[in-house]
Amino acid sequence: MSTNFTISSAVENILVELEVQRKKIVSSKMQGWSSIILGVICFGIGCVLSQVILAIVGFVIVIPGAIILFRISDDVAQYKSRFKQEVVGAALSSVDKTLTLDPNRGILESEFRSSQLFTTSPDRYSTEDLIRGTIGKTSFYFAEVHAEYKTEVQTKSGRQVTWHDILKGIVFTADFNKNFNGVTVVRPKDFGSKIGAWFSKNVYSFGDKNVVELENEDFSKNFVTYSNDQIEARYILTPAMMEKINDLNQRSANAISLSFIDTRMYIAFPLDKNYFEPPVFKTLLKPDLLDDDMSVLAFMYDIVRELDLNTRIWTKQ
Amino acid sequence: MIIVAIIAIAVLLIGIGIYNSLISKKNQVANAFSAIDVMLKKRFDLIPNLVETVKQYMQYEGDTLTKITELRGKALGTNVSESDKLALDQQIGAAVKGLMVSVENYPDLKANQNFLNLQSTWTESEEQIAAARRNYNSSVTTYNNAVMMFPGNMFAGMLGYQPMTVLETAEEERKNVSAKELFNN
Repeated sequence: MSTNFTISSAVENILVELEVQRKKIVSSKMQGWSSIILGVICFGIGCVLSQVILAIVGFVIVIPGAIILFRISDDVAQYKSRFKQEVVGAALSSVDKTLTLDPNRGILESEFRSSQLFTTSPDRYSTEDLIRGTIGKTSFYFAEVHAEYKTEVQTKSGRQVTWHDILKGIVFTADFNKNFNGVTVVRPKDFGSKIGAWFSKNVYSFGDKNVVELENEDFSKNFVTYSNDQIEARYILTPAMMEKINDLNQRSANAISLSFIDTRMYIAFPLDKNYFEPPVFKTLLKPDLLDDDMSVLAFMYDIVRELDLNTRIWTKQ
Repeated sequence: MIIVAIIAIAVLLIGIGIYNSLISKKNQVANAFSAIDVMLKKRFDLIPNLVETVKQYMQYEGDTLTKITELRGKALGTNVSESDKLALDQQIGAAVKGLMVSVENYPDLKANQNFLNLQSTWTESEEQIAAARRNYNSSVTTYNNAVMMFPGNMFAGMLGYQPMTVLETAEEERKNVSAKELFNN
């Protein structure tokens, strides 16, 4: 699929309406923040110079600024929601009628955990922008996911909590074209997994029995594969499939993780950007407005074709 | 004295570890081969059904059907060596592949649901056997590495363990599976 999508005149009209709304939001934000900054400066100077009145004036100026920002938060939410549903949604259906976007839904945390894409369980989890579609017999969906775990350190001043990303990016899942019963997970090779894989290969008694040694050198250089069924793992990861996963990994900016579980395949793509969001401080009326979002969509959409998921020559139809 | 005892115990433990590791790897190879055997049996069991379904439609392919049935009979016979069984499976695979190509000339058969199910199951069994063969080869490679590399080779020599031969990968197993190629549609 190319990123060819069309913006109809109806959507262009919506963009014009949203542009008015956006300008109003920007203006309110500027007013609110100006008021807060001015207030804080007055309050600060008042405190430093022991000018009580100036400090009180500063405090009073902050209040309307905070109220303005609080009041526009609903407008911002509505602006984002309209953009996603009416603009991105329309662009998606111009590419494929089966594609739908639900901004308020995503990959459930329980599904993320059961996918076994990552060994660490999240302590904080958020997800949004669920996109669903069907290509031939293969249904798929993907969503933005931010999963984090926390570490706590006891310091002199109390407990210090630090949050670390497990995944910030997109989780893609599709109905896999072969039947299988076990669990097979393909994770990027890091230092720890390299050591584990070496032990399982060279020191049988101490190694992880679930590591699957695969014959594709590039694949084994990039990934470590674990499975509770060695033959089934190879049934899924055919030589052709390993090549395709290598290609997919090369096209992705960061190393991907995959899992095959409950007749579905899951792929996690770490990404640096939050997609499908409308600009607030930049105009909506520019021709490349949706280019980044649609290129991500094209990437996800292409997975079904790239991995041949629509080839249904096995017993699973 | 204590140091010598510690070293002796460490050497003994390492020796036991290597010995057990070699035994495990050898068993792993045997286990991997029996997995191929199970898959082959599953595939051979499909043949009577396939032949029965196909012969109602394919009046001109009698020789091929007879050949497939005969090959199956040989493969399931007693006293068939492992290598002979694999060779027979390859012959059966080639014959059935030829049969699938001939299906083009029998539109009624192509539309038969029972045949379509058998065709999918056959393709699935081919990939499962390919996976089992790759698993066997991986187990053999791990075993061979252990038997040929130091210090495993010292124990292997004492146990009389010899390197094993990996199965040749059929050209079809290396290729991308394509519905068009397989079914010639």
